[in-house]
Amino acid sequence: MHPLNWAVIIVYLTYVVTDGLRRSKGTHEIEGYFLANRSLPWWVVGLSVMATQLSAITLIGTTGQGATDGMRFIQFYFGLPIAMVILGVTLVPLLHGSGAFTAYEYLERRFDAKTRSLTAFLFLLSRGMSAGTIIAAPAVVISAIFGWNLVWSVALIGVPTVLYTMIGGVQAVAWADVKQMVVIMAALVAVVIVLLVKLPVPPGEALHIAGATGRLRVFDFSFTLNETYTFWSGILGGTFLMLSYFGTDQSQVQRYLTAKSVVEARSSLLMSAYWKIPLQGLILLVGIMIFVFYLFQAPPLLFNPAQDAEVRTAQPAALAELERRFGTAFEARGEAARAVVGARETSDPARVAEAKQTLRDRETDVVGIRTEALTLVEQVTGESSRDVNYIIPRFVLDHLPLGLVGLFLAAVLAAAMSSIAAELNSLSTTTVIDFYRRWVRPEASDAHFLTVSKVATGFWGLFACIVATFAATLGSLIEVVNRFGSFFYGSILGVFLLSMIPFTKGIGAFVGLIAGMAVVAAVTFGAPDISFLWHNVIGAVTVLVVGVLLSGFRRQETRV
Amino acid sequence: MKTGHSFRFNLVRVMLVQVVALLLLWFLQTRYGG
Repeated sequence: MHPLNWAVIIVYLTYVVTDGLRRSKGTHEIEGYFLANRSLPWWVVGLSVMATQLSAITLIGTTGQGATDGMRFIQFYFGLPIAMVILGVTLVPLLHGSGAFTAYEYLERRFDAKTRSLTAFLFLLSRGMSAGTIIAAPAVVISAIFGWNLVWSVALIGVPTVLYTMIGGVQAVAWADVKQMVVIMAALVAVVIVLLVKLPVPPGEALHIAGATGRLRVFDFSFTLNETYTFWSGILGGTFLMLSYFGTDQSQVQRYLTAKSVVEARSSLLMSAYWKIPLQGLILLVGIMIFVFYLFQAPPLLFNPAQDAEVRTAQPAALAELERRFGTAFEARGEAARAVVGARETSDPARVAEAKQTLRDRETDVVGIRTEALTLVEQVTGESSRDVNYIIPRFVLDHLPLGLVGLFLAAVLAAAMSSIAAELNSLSTTTVIDFYRRWVRPEASDAHFLTVSKVATGFWGLFACIVATFAATLGSLIEVVNRFGSFFYGSILGVFLLSMIPFTKGIGAFVGLIAGMAVVAAVTFGAPDISFLWHNVIGAVTVLVVGVLLSGFRRQETRV
Repeated sequence: MKTGHSFRFNLVRVMLVQVVALLLLWFLQTRYGG
């Protein structure tokens, strides 16, 4: 890569770290370190919430998903605005008004210590692992592209993040998130401009071509529990997932606990309600335009250069034969795409329909050859190819002008760092507040807790980096994180919902939580076809039913 | 965007924005996705 691109990355990393260290000067006590003394304006918190959710997985994986599968993934986010409004009037006032450091601390005040400890433990378990996955996702891609050892890529992302999070606390994290969102948006806009300039057809024709291949089919109204991306799973399952994530996950709750007031905290969540779907739409559309670009410009058969090199060494003849067939199929597909544009100029519906059908057939040929190549990759390397995650990095490296490559890679680092920083910050908060201060040293001084908090952040950073080094070969980068969380998410949401029902008791919450997780586990293993989005609904409803019944039963028992 | 308005007001506003977003996506699908 050109030194100018490296210079952009180095300037970005240096700025984020030094700014984070500068912000540590205002952090002398634990309230400042974990909650910024509840002083941040709504727009900083709002951007921090969005940056935390927009990880490198989103930036790399979702554009790849747009290129291969189209827009339908956006249905996943349909429940987000609904969840934000519900949270604004339910959990946000409860959590912000309680003065608690963590969401789980509130649960002890409402229920009991064991419910708090169990939910906090589940958070540490799931988020501790997912922090590793969030580093691993971009690290694997960076390693494959530059031919680096994975440890170096993990260190490039992990070390600066741990440094500014550990020293600067939540102030550094939130203000870094603001800058990181700016970098991410600038990179996305740059990619869109380059695509518009480089596409050999006007944008309207590009959309018609993409539409002909089914990539602009947004809505799927079928009601099936097995399909993840449908309108109904997005609206119902998505609402429960987002309620769980934004309402009960400390990595998000801590963002809006730093807001000046309940009103500012609500407003910060509304920012996501307004902007998440358009932003996600833009990311998917970038992927779709890259697909159209590669109809006219020969793409590599394998986007992952490391796997390409491995297969080229192990199976040179088989790969060469696939590349020959791929070249022919690519030419035919490009011809079919140009024929769609030509047919549209004639305004003859029959010709247009025929040209679109031919394009679909040629696209099927290309996909078939690519599938054969990916099967070969899996045979040679013994690992899942996940080629989809390399589409945009390869496009950026091969086709973006000087300087913009550095900007895009800085955006990938920014997306990764903003998510990881929030995770480390919240993992440290939960470790110190819900376990160390609660069970080990309740009477220690503020200065002591501040030191322990910094050590805990460092520990979780190290842990995440170690997990990242080994989690590299996990499956789909997008779904692994959500899947892991959804195992507990719905049940924990159920406990928080239960807390809003006046007569419910600690025993109902605790037993309900265990029952919810048991039912989700049974569904996961017993009916693996049911999409993970529904697990949140199942978990939350189980906890509510069991919790209400048990609390009601105990109330009657007490009366007797 | 910063607001101290009631739940009903926020609900109506956010839902209106979402309906517009869904209509735009619907337009994208019907105009180009056929």
